[in-house]
Amino acid sequence: MEYAVETFSLTKIFSDCWGRTKVYAVDDLNLQVRYNEVFGLLGPNGSGKTTTIKMLLGLLYPTKGRSVILGGDGTDPKINARIGFLPEESYLYRYLSARETLDFYGRLFGLPAKVRKMRIEALLDMVGLKAVANRAVGTFSKGMARRIGLAQALINDPDLLILDEPTTGLDPIGTRQIKDLILKLAERGKTILLCSHLLADVEDVCDRIAILYGGRIQAQGRVKDLLQQTDKKQITTGAIGDATIERIKQLVQDEKSECTVTSPMDKLETFFIKTVTEAQQQAKPTSGAVSTTRIGDFLVPEKSAESILDKLISAPVSQKASPRPPTTHQVVHTESPESKPDEQLLSKLTEPTEPAQAEHVIGDEQVKTEPIKPKPIQQQEIEESILDQLTDRSKTQNGDKEQGDKPQTGDTGDA
Amino acid sequence: MRSIWAVATNTIKQALRMKIAAIFIILLIVLLPIMGFSMTGDSTLKGRLQTFVSYGLSLTSLLLCLLTIVTSVYSLTSDIDQRQIYTVITKPIRRFQLILGKVLGVVLLDVVLLVLFSVIIYSITVYMPVFYNATEDELVQVENEFYAARASVTPPVIDVSKEVEQAYNKLKEVGQLPEDMSRRDITAHLTSLKKLEKRAAAVGHELIWEFHNVRPLEPNESLFIRFKYDVSVNPPDSQIYSRWFVGDYRQIKYGDVGQTHIYPFERKDPVRTFREIEVPADAVAEDGYLAIGFFNLPLNNTVVIFPLEDGLEVLYRAGGFTPNFFRAVVLIFLRLIFLACLGALAATFLSFPVAISFCLVVFFTATFSNFCLESFNFLGGNLSSVYSYTLKPVIQLLPQFDKFNPTEFLVQARLLSWFFLVRAAGSMVCIKAVLLLLVALLIFSFREIAKVII
Repeated sequence: MEYAVETFSLTKIFSDCWGRTKVYAVDDLNLQVRYNEVFGLLGPNGSGKTTTIKMLLGLLYPTKGRSVILGGDGTDPKINARIGFLPEESYLYRYLSARETLDFYGRLFGLPAKVRKMRIEALLDMVGLKAVANRAVGTFSKGMARRIGLAQALINDPDLLILDEPTTGLDPIGTRQIKDLILKLAERGKTILLCSHLLADVEDVCDRIAILYGGRIQAQGRVKDLLQQTDKKQITTGAIGDATIERIKQLVQDEKSECTVTSPMDKLETFFIKTVTEAQQQAKPTSGAVSTTRIGDFLVPEKSAESILDKLISAPVSQKASPRPPTTHQVVHTESPESKPDEQLLSKLTEPTEPAQAEHVIGDEQVKTEPIKPKPIQQQEIEESILDQLTDRSKTQNGDKEQGDKPQTGDTGDA
Repeated sequence: MRSIWAVATNTIKQALRMKIAAIFIILLIVLLPIMGFSMTGDSTLKGRLQTFVSYGLSLTSLLLCLLTIVTSVYSLTSDIDQRQIYTVITKPIRRFQLILGKVLGVVLLDVVLLVLFSVIIYSITVYMPVFYNATEDELVQVENEFYAARASVTPPVIDVSKEVEQAYNKLKEVGQLPEDMSRRDITAHLTSLKKLEKRAAAVGHELIWEFHNVRPLEPNESLFIRFKYDVSVNPPDSQIYSRWFVGDYRQIKYGDVGQTHIYPFERKDPVRTFREIEVPADAVAEDGYLAIGFFNLPLNNTVVIFPLEDGLEVLYRAGGFTPNFFRAVVLIFLRLIFLACLGALAATFLSFPVAISFCLVVFFTATFSNFCLESFNFLGGNLSSVYSYTLKPVIQLLPQFDKFNPTEFLVQARLLSWFFLVRAAGSMVCIKAVLLLLVALLIFSFREIAKVII
């Protein structure tokens, strides 16, 4: 199985009840999503992105062609158990509370009560809805519903995550979080199929993209390859004097090329997040979703330590089904209020694994006021990458499913 | 199984929290006690009890049927319509499990509500004599004629085919056969005539029925002869004067020395109304033989007919009220199971309003199936052949709710036997409901879930 998702001339034709007026929603689509990559499916409205996803999951039947997802059929419960799906809008049962919603989906996966409870709390914490967990989701704003939608897609700790417009309705911080989460998950060996028309999102997180128009792939490839302007070079320097600039210009002119000099702009996203984080630190109350930077700890690689053990013990038990009691593998979230929000995110993304620590800190809401722990990030990263390599190797040895072609260091987390 | 259960509990939550069930529950909780104290029937205790049980149980049954249809249809159509199904069906649950979960949820909700309301009805029924300050006579009467489950014996059907044959040939000989009728129609007509003849007593004549296998529980209990008169000419005061004999007729017939008593009754009863005569159970011979004689007194001046279907039967206590009530409730429950499956079927291929109307049409047709069948039969002529190959089989495929009507049993204190219940369960649930469910699963497994959006 080379690809996590593969389609073979997938075609969907919509026709009216007399069989006339054919619309090719998806036309002869050949898509290959490799294991352990973030794949972006782009396209304008009505270009067949959602239809493709629905066909992958068996919500629609292809008129022609077929698709293979995780080496099987998208309607097979065994395959479904390894997929997380976030539809284009969060369609939730309005009368259930956030917690009940996640519990319902957890039960559909047949998760044991203990695991379910642990994951629900972790996920609620992660998407920042812990404070409103007992409110009916019918009363949620679109962004909050989106967060619950994301949480339900992650409850089974999926190998393949299919996200249809994951950032619609989310504020910039939420968007940033989702992007970070995607990178984080990809780093952990998950495959992510992302469907969006928000180009900035896709550009930030995707390894490869395909651009759809009229149900056909118009362009496909690595983001870097597609976007890099190989005939131009950019040099970033510190604040240097005018004289130096003149000398550089002179050098460039000697090369018979041209050069312009400007000060680089901060991205608005970065600025926005910085502003809001500062406001948060002054404890301004909000009734909306709380932005946290945690990631459900069952999604991060504490389990890698455990799954190595699992695999050493042999028994190829399904990872999702195996309950992980909270005492066997814990992580302490060493949250610290750092000056730059991106760095703060990064530090969360690269939390150290400390299996010896038996304390569980889910639910600790005062993370941001804790003093800085200048614990060596470097060292954490090293520890982590060792772990990752261990996991990866053990995975390849065992299932040969994860063919990671992605660099496994933690530094991709800061896109 | 876990996922079926998850869907089932979610369906129950939906019904309760979306307040679909609330209206029905509040209505019943308010109405039932009011009915218990406001209904007087014919102002006797028995009349009160009969009216209350009849209306209370019918209302509960009707409302729960509607609730079942609505919840069962809504639960699935809203999932499809509001697209929650996208996230549900992409989880490791098969489509048939989703449907089964929905039906299970509706059925469980029904169980809870049915238990709740039948306990209310039962308590009011049992305690009504206390509140009503009934007299001693009335208490005895309701004990025998209401708080009981009575078995029924009807006179054996007399074979009249020979007589019909003779009559037909006679008509043929005389050449008086009606020309516009087929032989089958004439025979049918003659048969019913002859049968009626056997159940008619001319002025000053008598009718005797013999029963076998009458088995009252105790010899000191009572038997009840339940009858209804039809007359050829209506008497001025609509009353029929009669003399009845109940006992072992063989003593007279064969001159045996009888041990059992023969009871005579002199009566005056209104026409076209059900009446009951109480007879001591020792009128029945040891081998279960019982004869009933009816003498049409000359002063009536009219022929008295006992209608074919329900003109006369013998009732005797064969069980208690409580188990009978329980079985009646189970009979309602069978109905609900059928409707839950019907709702699921409709929801798999119809949108909410259409599915609801479809289910209601089926429900009411099933409720009045007998009426529908009879009225179509009455059409006759050319239409009948078209109808008998199209609508008739469809109606017969439906469960006959009116045939399996539990309230009739309770009102007449009639034994609703386990056998009858099993038969109803077999035809209504094991065959018809399961068939519906299978079709539903089939349709749902093959249909496209998502809507066409480009």
